Amino acid sequence: MNLWKLEWLRLVRTKRIIALVGVFVFFGFLGPLTARYMEQILENFGGGVQIIVPEPIAADGITAYVGNAAQIGLLVAVGVAAGALAFDAKPQMGIFLRTRVEHVREIFTPRLVTMTCAVIGAFVLGSVAALYESIVLMGSLPIGGWALGTLLGSLYLAFVVALVAAVSAKANSVLVTVMTSVGLLLALPILGIAPDIAEWLPSHLVGAIDGLVRDGSLSDYTRSIGATVVLISGALWLAVHWAEQREL
Amino acid sequence: MIVTTGLSKDYGGTLALDSVDLNVSRGSVYGLVGPNGAGKTTLLGVLSGLRQATAGSVSIITTNIGVLPDTPLFDQWLTAREVVDLALFMSAGVHDDIRVAEMLEQAGIEDAADRAVGGFSRGMLQRLGLAASLVAGPDLVLLDEPCSALDPLGRREVLDLIARLRGDATVVFSSHILADVQEVCDTVGILRRGKLIFEGPLQNLLVGKAQPRYLVRVRPPTGDVVARLKSTDWIEEVVVVDPELIRVTGASLDVMETNLVPALAAAGAHVVSLAPEAPSLEDVFLEVVS
Repeated sequence: MNLWKLEWLRLVRTKRIIALVGVFVFFGFLGPLTARYMEQILENFGGGVQIIVPEPIAADGITAYVGNAAQIGLLVAVGVAAGALAFDAKPQMGIFLRTRVEHVREIFTPRLVTMTCAVIGAFVLGSVAALYESIVLMGSLPIGGWALGTLLGSLYLAFVVALVAAVSAKANSVLVTVMTSVGLLLALPILGIAPDIAEWLPSHLVGAIDGLVRDGSLSDYTRSIGATVVLISGALWLAVHWAEQREL
Repeated sequence: MIVTTGLSKDYGGTLALDSVDLNVSRGSVYGLVGPNGAGKTTLLGVLSGLRQATAGSVSIITTNIGVLPDTPLFDQWLTAREVVDLALFMSAGVHDDIRVAEMLEQAGIEDAADRAVGGFSRGMLQRLGLAASLVAGPDLVLLDEPCSALDPLGRREVLDLIARLRGDATVVFSSHILADVQEVCDTVGILRRGKLIFEGPLQNLLVGKAQPRYLVRVRPPTGDVVARLKSTDWIEEVVVVDPELIRVTGASLDVMETNLVPALAAAGAHVVSLAPEAPSLEDVFLEVVS
């Protein structure tokens, strides 16, 4: 047993990996389906009222996936990451780990890398599902734009996990870590109401996959990419620094 | 093994440790006792590097330290064997199935080795924590109330395990159970309100506090004997403990040693046994901290 295997077992034995992959893949399949049959769905619930919606295109399937992934998927990702990264939430567990390593980063690294890979992996699987079903139901999509968009969405999720890591180093419980992280992540789109700020925010990357399968280009996201990389670095530095300073 | 100088820890105006000068010899079993809130857990936390001292210095001549909190907790989905294996790998960087099995057996949880620890009782968690603390063969073991959740059999086994460490490892353990400390420790430190008010060999503490008191077992009836002893001027107190046992307190140990036997003979006592009443650590502890 080592700290890397410990994190893999945490995902498997607690079934968190199923929750994570399940949510993203579920919305990966559900998104294009609802986009394709939106008109019929609305008619069924419309009480006989005729509703006219534009003819769906494949990009609408990706839009629907991103919408769900950015909300419910994000909540699950934050919960799973917090469960692993808030290792001091129960001080007795923190004592077991901390008294056996020279630096706290030895504990942090396997947790951070494993959770980041798991969250990104689930997002990518969901994105593949959305791509496949969008093409099957609604026609072709620019694969290059989809791949780049998925990459940028993954960068945003890496930022999410890094943020959770920083918050967990200060918070006293998993619940506080989740609530604080979600609060901060919700605050970003609010800041983004100002157009000049929006393109600098990590949350701008959430819609990258949607934009890039339509008429967007990488240059629309370069400021956000730069800011996100800087913020990830800062969050990780804070996470390790605060965890090293923490007393149990 | 451990030397602290002027060690203080201030929690925002509350002084949990106040200029503690601790000296723990290599290979000793050091008992840290004190009332609730005396600073025992804080001191162990500072020694284990989990808390930072506000002032003073700590010198420990090893980095191979095993630490056991009073209520150990582990990821509930791990088995006991995996916990000890992880502890060994994190501390020593090796996997050794035989060593892990040996520690599980010594801790008395070999039958539960492959069960998830989520179903363990507090006593079993304490045994598991002890196994995890000792598996890497630490030079220094810091134990916070290691017997607090154990049944009498478990307590006996853990005390034996601690006693066997003597000479191979240095053990510092805090306990409220003074009989445990008296049984396995060779050195005692008494903390009160963050101050180390006594430190030294257990015998020094007990001998230094020995009372001029004897327990005398006599054949009944004891009435006349008690009355004649009470009338003796250098005897301060005679207490009938039970129909055959009386406790005699004198002016000093020296007077008691030379005069008690003649006084008993003069009182016509049929003496069955006679022994000085050794003070318990509990008696001394209560006297020192009061």
